[in-house]
Amino acid sequence: MHELSIATQLMDQVLRVAGENDAGRVVEVEVHCGVMQQVVPEALEMAFEAVAAGTVAEGSRLVIVEDAMRARCRVCGHEYEPNIDDFLCPKCSQANAELLVGQDIVLQTVICETEDRAKL
Amino acid sequence: MKVKVVESVLKANDAVARENRRRMDAAGVLAINITSAPGSGKTALLERTIPALGPEARCAVLVGDLQTTRDAERLGAVAAETVQINTGRGCHLSAPQVNEGLDSLDLSGIQFLFIENVGNMVCPAAVDLGEHLRVVLLSVPEGDDKVAKYPTLFQPADAVLLTKQDLVGVLDWDRAKVYEDLSRLNTRATLIECSQKTGQGMEQWLDWLREQRRQRASGESSAGV
Repeated sequence: MHELSIATQLMDQVLRVAGENDAGRVVEVEVHCGVMQQVVPEALEMAFEAVAAGTVAEGSRLVIVEDAMRARCRVCGHEYEPNIDDFLCPKCSQANAELLVGQDIVLQTVICETEDRAKL
Repeated sequence: MKVKVVESVLKANDAVARENRRRMDAAGVLAINITSAPGSGKTALLERTIPALGPEARCAVLVGDLQTTRDAERLGAVAAETVQINTGRGCHLSAPQVNEGLDSLDLSGIQFLFIENVGNMVCPAAVDLGEHLRVVLLSVPEGDDKVAKYPTLFQPADAVLLTKQDLVGVLDWDRAKVYEDLSRLNTRATLIECSQKTGQGMEQWLDWLREQRRQRASGESSAGV
């Protein structure tokens, strides 16, 4: 349900990057989503399309990559890859995980065409 | 042209969340983000909690709902300061909304700030408001299978309150199943079985709140988000 607010913030960043690079058109955007954000790819794609309308990013392709989680056990310090339904530390069997990867959403790359190219 | 960015999409919210935490730290306020499904008894819990903490523990409440000021009207009767945030179509509170809410509160002398999030078991879990602690409620009528269904809500919780315990026996509720599911996600959280109606478990909850405040005041606490 929160995909629209994610898409809105993402588009702000994409348009800023496009502006900084004198882009006439954005072709592709790659974003990495942490599992704990529970992003529904189809919903994010729809929201992205909606907020891209009328901008240089209209019609661009959104590539969504889900990163594996990584956590550090607060009890024994062991680093491991938990699953969304199982955070037990393989070393001490406690589920007291500090997430290192898996909570954020990160804009990775923007592929764009410069003004001149876009006019061709 | 491929531009490598590597920048958090959530950074705008998270920057305001840090600012909120700084403001509350400066005011000596312990902020608790309360999340759950709609109808699990967040407001009823606070109606019982705030008077029980006593007049010396001045409490403020920021309460989020899509519409109406009903919860703020209820809580205004017991809290020193109350602000209702209507999110419209928004399914969770955001750090900027809490920041605006803080502008409307007089934090001087406030010990506890309860942030009653929008009733929703998915989206609030993903958004940092700048709170110190997260408390999740799960009521008996919701069913004993919800912990496993909504892991992102329960995994970061500092305390889980199993509410409406007075309905155990009236409704099917497999306590062992809830504990078993929680043991795979979060062994750090304090579990409290309580009833807003009968007062069961309230002393344990109040003790937990006072202990969290004591730890934070003395700089012992490492909990929180």
